[in-house]
Formats: sequence, structure tokens, C-alpha cells
Amino acid sequence: MKKPNSRKRENVSKSIVFSLVFLVLGFILSYSYSLSQSDDGSDNFTANSQFEQEESFREELIEQQERNKTLREEMQSKQAVLQEFESEFSSGQEDYSDIASEAEKLRRYVGLMPVEGEGLKIILEDGEYGTQAVNPNDYIVHESHVFQVIHEMYIAGAEAVAVNGQRIHSNSTIVCTGPVIEVDGVKYPAPFTIEAIGKPDVLAASIELPGGVLDQLVNDNIVVTMDEGLEITMPALLSES
Amino acid sequence: MWLSILGLILGVSLGLLTDIRIPPEYANYLSIAVLAALDTLFGGIRAHLQQVYDDRVFVSGFFFNILLAAGLAFLGVHLGVDLYLAAIFAFGVRLFQNIAVIRRILLSKWTDKKSIRESV
Repeated sequence: MKKPNSRKRENVSKSIVFSLVFLVLGFILSYSYSLSQSDDGSDNFTANSQFEQEESFREELIEQQERNKTLREEMQSKQAVLQEFESEFSSGQEDYSDIASEAEKLRRYVGLMPVEGEGLKIILEDGEYGTQAVNPNDYIVHESHVFQVIHEMYIAGAEAVAVNGQRIHSNSTIVCTGPVIEVDGVKYPAPFTIEAIGKPDVLAASIELPGGVLDQLVNDNIVVTMDEGLEITMPALLSES
Repeated sequence: MWLSILGLILGVSLGLLTDIRIPPEYANYLSIAVLAALDTLFGGIRAHLQQVYDDRVFVSGFFFNILLAAGLAFLGVHLGVDLYLAAIFAFGVRLFQNIAVIRRILLSKWTDKKSIRESV
């Protein structure tokens, strides 16, 4: 009775020990298996991790070099594009400067900006009213005279013209209303100061042309005063008419 | 018997389910330990077949070999000597020897049985 009992107990302790051993074995096996699975088998047993490190560094280096190469290629292509842009830009800049100067010129003509420069100043005054005169109309400045002068100035290449300091533009109206002249709705009495910006000698020469404007004005008993080469400033046109 | 199989299943599932990540340099020790454990297991089977099996020797050998192999590898890494090769070599040779002995014993047993049956 005693013997089988002790044998049984021995068996139980044996199986417990065995189960412990197998537990450890299974744990070690499966754990190393899962480890090698997760590390994609890179660390199969190589204690010389230096070699591994070297390998990984080399791979990294190659990767970096390839990346460098692709980046360099990208940079070259970008640079080519940049160069294209630059050449385009330089040619475009010339165009721009041309366009800008043209725009400025046009703006001067249109009167959108204040103008400053050398020019010619003509003052038209009513003539001396002689006692022997029949008609006082022969002695005063009419709008046609002003017109003549202004047209002559424009023909001679004036960039901007002003009457009594008021800028004349493409839609300006000059109307004779009795003794005064109305320029864009503003009334001015004589004398009329007509200023033109341009080449002074050209403007003066065109005015003084024999049989030209000056002769006609003098013929109409108008006192004409001319000032060449003055520095003239004109305001920009502010109002739209 | 059933208890040991249960232990094996429990150990396998525990090993697969553990999420503890150990650094890769320590995985080497684990593989050495695996080798040691397998060697001891086959040694135990052989001893059992040769009727020289002892519980204490087997269990102590199992754990001691594992610890020794891992310690040897650890020492080798820290000394710069590839001591793990010694463990691999020793356990590998013993593993093959043990398996060869087991095979031979099983073969002889089988042929004995066959001859007995034929004689009967």
C-alpha cells in the first residue's frame, strides 16, 4: 500500500518537473522564433555585430549616395529651368523697360502724371487798343489764336501743354465766351500763358516759322512774348472730363 | 505526461504572446540557450533509452546548460573572443551524437522486435 503511493507521488513530482522543463523549452523556442520573425532573421546568430553594423552603414551610405545622385539630377534640371527663366527674364526686362518708358511717355501725353521739363512759354496779350481802330475784336486774343498756338506746339512735338497752368488733354474744350476763354469750364481772361514741354528750340522754331503762327498772331495785333528754355512744371490732370 | 504537454503548450503560447522586445545582441544568448535546451532534451531521451536516466541530472543539466551557454556567449561578447563558437560546437556535436545514439537504439529495438515476431 505504501509503495505504490510513494511511487505515485514520485510520478507526480516527476511530471511536474517535466512540465516545468517543457514550459521553459517551449518558451525559449517560441520566443526566439518570434524574435527572429520580427527582426526578419537579420540576427540569426552573428555575434560579430561589428560586421552587421558595417553592413548596415554601408547600405545606408549607398542609399544616401543614391539619394544624393537623384537630388543632384533634380538640381541640375531645376538649374536648367532657372537658366531658361533668367534668359527669358533678361529679354523680358528689356521689353519691360521699353514698355515702361512708352507707358511713361503715353502718360505724359494723356496727362496722368505731373510733368516737369524744359519747354517754351508763350504769353498772348491783347493788343493796344488804338483810337483809329474800328473793331475792338481785331485787338483781342480769340480762342482761335490759342488753338493755333496749341496745335503748333503739339505738331512740333510738345509732350504736354497747359493754358494758364491748366493742363490740356485730348478731350479739352476751349471755348470763347466774350472777353474770356473757357478752358475745360474754367474761365480765364487775357493774357493767356501757354506752356509747352518739349524741345525748346524746336518749339520756338516752329512758332517762328515765316508765315507761321507768330506772323499771323502779330498780324492780328496780338502782343506775343516768348520765353525759351524755361524749366516748366505741370500738375497732373486730376479731374476727368 | 499530459502535464508536460500542457507545460509545452503553455510555454509556446507564452513565448509567442510575449511582447517584450529584447535588444538584438541578447537574441544571440537566446539562440545558444535553445541549442543547449535541445541538446539536454535529446540527452535525456538517450539516457532514458539506455536506462541510465536520472531525474536530477536531466533537470539540473537542462537549466545549467542553458545558463552556461548563455553566460559563455555573454562573456565572449564582452571579452571580444567568440566563445559562443565553443558552445555551439560542443552542443552541436553532442546533439548529433545523441541523435545518432537514439537512432541506433531505436533501430536495434525495431530489428529485435521484427526478428522476435518472425521467430514466433
